[in-house]
Amino acid sequence: MMQIIVQGLLLSGLYALIAMGFMLIFSIGRTLNLAYGAYIMVGGYIYFWLSQQLGMPKIVGFAGAVMVGALMGFLKHRLIVKPLKGDAVAVEISTLILAIIMQSVMVLVFGDASKILLPIIPGVVTVAGAQVTFNILAATVMSWIIIAALYAFVRGTHIGRAMQAVSMDEKGAAISGVDPDKINMITWAISGALGAAGGVFFASYTQLSPQMWVAPVIISIAIVIVGGIGSIIGTLIVAHIIGFLEVSIVALWAPELRGVFTMLLIIGVLVMRPQGLFGREEH
Amino acid sequence: MRTLDLRPHHLVLWAAFIALMLLMPLMVGNGTLRTMIFACYLAMFAISWDILSGRTGYLSFGHPFLIGIGAYTTGILTRRYGIPVEASIPIAVLVTMAGGLIILLPALRIKGSYFALVTLAVMELMLQLVPVIRPDLTGGTRGISRLPALTRGAENGYYLAAGLMLAVALFAWLLMRTRLGTALWAIGMNEESVRGSGLSTTRLKSFAFLVSAGIAGLAGAFYAHYLGSITPRSFFDINILFQIIVAVLIGGAGTIIGPIIGAFFMVFLLEWLRPYMPGTERFFVYGSIALVLYMYQPKGIMAIVDTIVSKMKGSRA
Repeated sequence: MMQIIVQGLLLSGLYALIAMGFMLIFSIGRTLNLAYGAYIMVGGYIYFWLSQQLGMPKIVGFAGAVMVGALMGFLKHRLIVKPLKGDAVAVEISTLILAIIMQSVMVLVFGDASKILLPIIPGVVTVAGAQVTFNILAATVMSWIIIAALYAFVRGTHIGRAMQAVSMDEKGAAISGVDPDKINMITWAISGALGAAGGVFFASYTQLSPQMWVAPVIISIAIVIVGGIGSIIGTLIVAHIIGFLEVSIVALWAPELRGVFTMLLIIGVLVMRPQGLFGREEH
Repeated sequence: MRTLDLRPHHLVLWAAFIALMLLMPLMVGNGTLRTMIFACYLAMFAISWDILSGRTGYLSFGHPFLIGIGAYTTGILTRRYGIPVEASIPIAVLVTMAGGLIILLPALRIKGSYFALVTLAVMELMLQLVPVIRPDLTGGTRGISRLPALTRGAENGYYLAAGLMLAVALFAWLLMRTRLGTALWAIGMNEESVRGSGLSTTRLKSFAFLVSAGIAGLAGAFYAHYLGSITPRSFFDINILFQIIVAVLIGGAGTIIGPIIGAFFMVFLLEWLRPYMPGTERFFVYGSIALVLYMYQPKGIMAIVDTIVSKMKGSRA
């Protein structure tokens, strides 16, 4: 039982981090950014390349992954999203194509085989009778620090509040003297950085492979939609529902059914309550 | 005939197209024919996707799910229950249409990105579910092998695939020329106004789903027999989805010939790249071309051809 609670908390923190970056983009442009998975994948690979293939310090690898993620987000906004001028279908399709392109770039550079990341921090600790590696514990703690920082940023700073304003009403924000274009750009960059950071932890939790981006992107989209658009708290709650659901099924029933119930939950909620469980009404 | 508004030049173009496709084996070698067989199947998948998503604007990310159902149904029936293919393929089509209804139900309630996400989740669900549920039937992650072959040799395989594709294309073309096709277009433009003009969009969408699923199931079942083996990864995979969508978009959504051109373009491009890049990294070049083309002209090659043709006409006049 303790094992489930501890494992559930750890996995949920990771999911929450991954979902946050997606939530920013989705709430600001209602864009189903399928290339978000590419940030996760590229983040993991950049970290692997810098820290394990080049032997640099882990913090450099992490910083490199975050910077590349931010750059990808920035470039994507400039080169793809902005020229398409808010055509949602076109953005969805072009981001899907982009995600596949990034996947093949990773195959081209690193090969098709899965890679195991060395633990970020080696060692095992026993928490309330449950075995927890320092690695996943560190990932969770970092996730929570990043989420808290993001919350403070969105709520407390001028740019953060401008982001909220643009997500609610872009025209209204523009009238109040916010430059939506600049805010969009910043949001895309932050989203890329968050995705890449999440990717490093996610890769160390599972493993690194060119196909690794599909499941986390579906999970993060689902967390955001089920949690309600633009709600950080809703995102956190649903990340925990899905995290605990998966851990319980692995522990109590059958590990291979892990993803099945997540998908069923997503489909069920989307069909019953498309506005999500905690979201504001869309009009 | 008047309702379809058929003109002589339509018949001539179709006859020329059919003749060209059927004369192919006389012109090219067996290797090229095998590539063309894949292109024909991809074209059928693309037409099926286009009937639903290209027209109504409901993006289906779950088409591999439908194709996979068709393939698995006929695979299980023939290999596990010894049912002849003459019966198993029609059953596969019906089962796929029933599967299409499963995605249809959410689609009646939700729109846009949500629909795309639900269909994507359904595909991912099948990828995880199929190896686990009744592995004695589905063969688990290893799938089902040694499916009965319908044809022998590249030439016969090609005639079957090309014949099917032509039939599907002609059917879809005729269907889209009816008022029903027009109504589906109108849903893509503005669903509210279609409902406002007294048509039941629910019934129209259901119809589009069933037709799309039926074609996907038919093509999926024949494709499975052509391949001879099926695995979860080879059907419920995002790369398949990617190939289908890109084939439609490169060719031109909302047309019949567009997805066919797109499918042939894509399959041959991948084939030409094979000597230089043997693995999935070919998708890098392919995806880049697709992205640039799509950003340049979201309506695809058909629209580019139209522009060129009208420009040439304009300069002559």
